[in-house]
Amino acid sequence: MDIGILVAGILTLAVFSFLYKDNPVYKAAESWLIGLSVGYALVIFWQTTIIDLLLVPLFSEGRLILIIPFLLGLMMFSRFSKKTSWLSRIPIALMIGAGAGVAIPAMLYARTLKQMSASVMPIIENGSLNIEAPVVALGVISTLAYFYFSREHKGVMGSTARLGTYFLMIFFGATFGYTVMSRMSTFIGRVDFLLTDFLHLIK
Amino acid sequence: MRTKIPLVVCLAFGVIMFAQYFSNHTIARAVYNNILEWWQIIFAFTLFVGVAAFIKNNLKSISLGKKDTPYKIVSLIGLALMPLLAIIGGTRIGSPFLWSFENMLAPMQATVFSLLAFFVASASFRGFRARTVSATILLLTALIVLIGRIPLAEMISESLPKTTFWIQSYPSMAARRAILIGIGLGSMTTALRVILGIERTYLRGE
Amino acid sequence: MDRLRTRWIIFSGLAIVVIVSYLITIKFKTAPSPATLKAYKYLDTLPEKSVVIFSFDHEASSLPEIQPIALAMLRHAFKNDLKIVGLSLFAEGTAIGYDLLSKTAREYDRQYGSDYIFLGFKPQYISAILGMGESIKRVFPEDYLGNMTDTMPIMLGIDSYDNIEMVVSIADGDRTVQWVEYAGARYNQKVMAGLTAAMITSYDPYLSSEQLYAVVGGLRGAAEYENLLDKRGGGSRGMLAQSAAHLYILALVIVGNIIYFRNRRRRGGE
Repeated sequence: MDIGILVAGILTLAVFSFLYKDNPVYKAAESWLIGLSVGYALVIFWQTTIIDLLLVPLFSEGRLILIIPFLLGLMMFSRFSKKTSWLSRIPIALMIGAGAGVAIPAMLYARTLKQMSASVMPIIENGSLNIEAPVVALGVISTLAYFYFSREHKGVMGSTARLGTYFLMIFFGATFGYTVMSRMSTFIGRVDFLLTDFLHLIK
Repeated sequence: MRTKIPLVVCLAFGVIMFAQYFSNHTIARAVYNNILEWWQIIFAFTLFVGVAAFIKNNLKSISLGKKDTPYKIVSLIGLALMPLLAIIGGTRIGSPFLWSFENMLAPMQATVFSLLAFFVASASFRGFRARTVSATILLLTALIVLIGRIPLAEMISESLPKTTFWIQSYPSMAARRAILIGIGLGSMTTALRVILGIERTYLRGE
Repeated sequence: MDRLRTRWIIFSGLAIVVIVSYLITIKFKTAPSPATLKAYKYLDTLPEKSVVIFSFDHEASSLPEIQPIALAMLRHAFKNDLKIVGLSLFAEGTAIGYDLLSKTAREYDRQYGSDYIFLGFKPQYISAILGMGESIKRVFPEDYLGNMTDTMPIMLGIDSYDNIEMVVSIADGDRTVQWVEYAGARYNQKVMAGLTAAMITSYDPYLSSEQLYAVVGGLRGAAEYENLLDKRGGGSRGMLAQSAAHLYILALVIVGNIIYFRNRRRRGGE
């Protein structure tokens, strides 16, 4: 048997042992996984960002402007000292500011306006009634009414908000159904590995 | 100064990144490209800070001789192993680094995630009750989707998958759309508050 | 019955149902959903040598579900002689993407550098997506293997989204949303997705507003795609087990409710 498959199989069974109860074998596998994940991310970030976007352009191509993000990046480490930790706020402020700046047009156009305009559908299409149009309009309006807390949910507002909860329940139900599907698929994938590659029960 | 400098930086970069959306000027594009690059570089450093904190906390725990010391050691060995393998054999196909990813990290992570299948099954038995009208709607929708998306459903009746798609594409989509519109409006106002320095939660927790 | 015993019965039941049904081989004909069919037709009718980005925006945790989708779509793209630019906006997607792309390319005898390339990972996804709208080579000056991107034959005519026909985001979370909201809205880039089933309902509004071109969702989506492609894979193999698992959950819900209502009636009687 391929040594890789053997190792993967043993580690898979070690993780599955948690289903019996929390045990040292599972805990060791879990710790091993955490360590490997952090180590892996470290390598990938170093290779693809620090080398490719910082060190090579700065030292080989002489792009001196990159000293600024380099210093700002180093400022992040000031968090380890109480005296200097305020310095780390500067690079954080840059990232948050830039993120907020690009988010405004994206949220306004791509998320809010586009979604609102897509909610308006023709009621009569090719001479026949399009039942989906009022369903979508009613669903969007009533769900928004449910999340509108500036007015008490009484009377028409209360009924609309209640209708909104029913639409929300349909969404949660559909999402639950698909989530079950997703989790089962993941388990089936591991069963596939164990039965096919590890135990060779299936050719 | 400790608060003012970050607030000015946030305002400046927020305004620049917002304004560039409306300009195609060469200087505006150059500034935009540079900021995008800086953003990535600084972001990478945040991960290194996280790794340093992880090592620091684990070492502290080991030095105190706590009960979970062996597991902390295992974690640190795992952390050291990946960079070591990358230095020795690179990261190409067939390298020990990629071997470790494929045969240790990926299977373990997928298996941890697959444990959720069991907990979902347990939750379905214990918590999924038709107690109220809302709960009954949720339950019925979930059951229709569960049956409607398996190949067996098509053998029973073609209307089963069709009903699933209809639910998914109209009433369920409408509720999700309302949530998205709400998030969009909320994110937009929060972004504006952050740029203008009204929202300052990121300045806490030095 | 005490809680622990019930838990073990439920767990053992699920394991038995899935394992036994997986050992049985039944070939299902899975009719494609409209969204899967749309994705398939698009890749099928793209002219040869068109450039498609495959972005592996997921972690290893969703690999068993997401890999069959990615594999089916990659096979389709290589079969139709499309040029593929692979990348990842998740650190873990890097190794997965590179491995999958290399192995699938070998199946169709495609050459690295001229038929496909893997650019690797870049952090801060919004910045990476927006940056590629200006210059892909600036965001990825080197590919995953350390080659200068601008020297690779496949990249000669490619500099931004203007030269990309479609972005296929293989995702287990909301990364595809960022592709839609930043690359789509800002640079008019067409985007479609291969998603885990759990994420499907979250993307329905984008599909309905046509901001997202198409979606291949979950193991079922993979099975549908494999069926259209006439190449059996992980999706098709898992369909019987998937059906059995769904029926098992259905039975658990029904039994749980029967017990609940019986107990409620008893309590009411007392």
